[in-house]
Amino acid sequence: MARKASKKRINDVIFVAQIISLSMLWMFVISLSLWIFHLLFLSIKLNDVPGASVGISLVAIPVFWTLVGVLTYVFVGLRRNRISSNHGKS
Amino acid sequence: MYRDLQEEDALLIRPIEQTGRGFYVSVAVLLAIIMAAGLLFVRQVYFGLGVTGMNEPVSWGFYIVNFVFFIGISHAGTLISAILRLSKAEWRRPITRMAEVITAIVLAIGGLHPIIDLGRPDRLLNIFTSGRLQSPLLWDVTSITAYFTASTIYLYVPMIPDIAILRDRDTRPHWLYKFLAWGWQGTEKQHKVLERAISILMVMVIPIAISVHTVISYIFSMTLQPGWHSTIFGPYFVVGAIFSGIAALILVMLAFRKIFHLEGYLKEVHFLYLGRLLLIMSLLWFYFTFSEYLTGFFGHEPYEMKVFFYKFAGPYAVFFWGMILCNFVVPVVFLSFKGLRNITGVLVASTTVVIGMWLERLIIVVPSLSNPRLSVPGGLYIPTVTEWGLFIGAVAVFVLGFLLFSKFFPIISIWEIREGRETSVTEVSERVKKYLPEASTT
Repeated sequence: MARKASKKRINDVIFVAQIISLSMLWMFVISLSLWIFHLLFLSIKLNDVPGASVGISLVAIPVFWTLVGVLTYVFVGLRRNRISSNHGKS
Repeated sequence: MYRDLQEEDALLIRPIEQTGRGFYVSVAVLLAIIMAAGLLFVRQVYFGLGVTGMNEPVSWGFYIVNFVFFIGISHAGTLISAILRLSKAEWRRPITRMAEVITAIVLAIGGLHPIIDLGRPDRLLNIFTSGRLQSPLLWDVTSITAYFTASTIYLYVPMIPDIAILRDRDTRPHWLYKFLAWGWQGTEKQHKVLERAISILMVMVIPIAISVHTVISYIFSMTLQPGWHSTIFGPYFVVGAIFSGIAALILVMLAFRKIFHLEGYLKEVHFLYLGRLLLIMSLLWFYFTFSEYLTGFFGHEPYEMKVFFYKFAGPYAVFFWGMILCNFVVPVVFLSFKGLRNITGVLVASTTVVIGMWLERLIIVVPSLSNPRLSVPGGLYIPTVTEWGLFIGAVAVFVLGFLLFSKFFPIISIWEIREGRETSVTEVSERVKKYLPEASTT
């Protein structure tokens, strides 16, 4: 019984760690997007070829969001499609 | 679920579960080399770039050469793996994992080189506050970050079923495999999720990979420097990157085949197929090189010709002709003639290609800087011990990265091999039938 409880606790800790790792990836992508926006606004403010900055922002930001979206899809998809949530596997 | 691994597949798990003394010795030696390189870098930061061979006007040397070279090698992995997966080449199965690992490791190494090249690395922080997004240098930062993110995800996602195998075998560190397996149980729906994600990723990584080396070429071609201002630099760099990437992949495969006794997985046919790709890339590379230099020569612009002769008959002639020998003559000889077309021939060709492609990066970067348009005295670049030391350190990081990866994860995808055995034969025969016209019944 105690062993089962300990196993469940470990699984819970691992699940929380997985959520944190995924959240960190989202934070990375959001920070990157904010940084690109910051540079974009800077180029507009300084009138320093803003067209080129708009171009690269339009390409770069969706790429990062799609990548992290795919990883989130895998994480959610794998967890949702397990045989049983109490299978003891994380 | 996966406890009952077939004996031949257990061979792939053995290096993870049984660690020999050789592993620890190798790690110790590599760490010592990396630490020595680290000390050289600290010394460079303390004394400044004066400890390197870089000077006026040659302000880029080994670090930028190695940056372009390592990023080029990274095309071995994700790009080749994605193309092989997309084209449903069945012989890809034992190769893709190694290719993807190469990408992740060398991208990290290559991406660090521009920072090493900075006399004041702390000034890197300026790009966060006041970087210019319209500069090709920042395009590089963005595209390399995107490629690294995509490659790491593309390496990780197909690895999940193999991580679950390790988790189910109670392999240590158990928590790591449990954490990384993300609850994989191999259900049909989970397989669908995984396959869908891999399909999206492989379509995404191809343009990202091509953009990376194209953008790297822009660092050179967007300037008006003689020898750099060329419209074909983008595709030329991409071809060179794939070329050097295939060669590096073959060398890594041969090393693992020998060390882990993977002859049953990495068969001669895999090397011959990759050798064929290498031959095609060699011819393509020669075509691009020929076009690049012919157009420059035909224009006969005085500054352009100065660089041209610096490479063809001047101080860099030995490197230029060495490059032609390594990238064209040797591969064509060893990969074209039947008698030489075997694993040894492929090994020789791949080794020379890796050396030749490094020389190519050297002769692109240095001669143009040595012969600027401005009326300043030309400069001769001779790398110092610091630069050689950091180069050796970078190679040591690459080897260490691979060693550590193979200690924790299977170097060949177990589930893909199993899938190949179980379903591919039927699937391929069905596919072949689809290509052919139906037999006439009359």
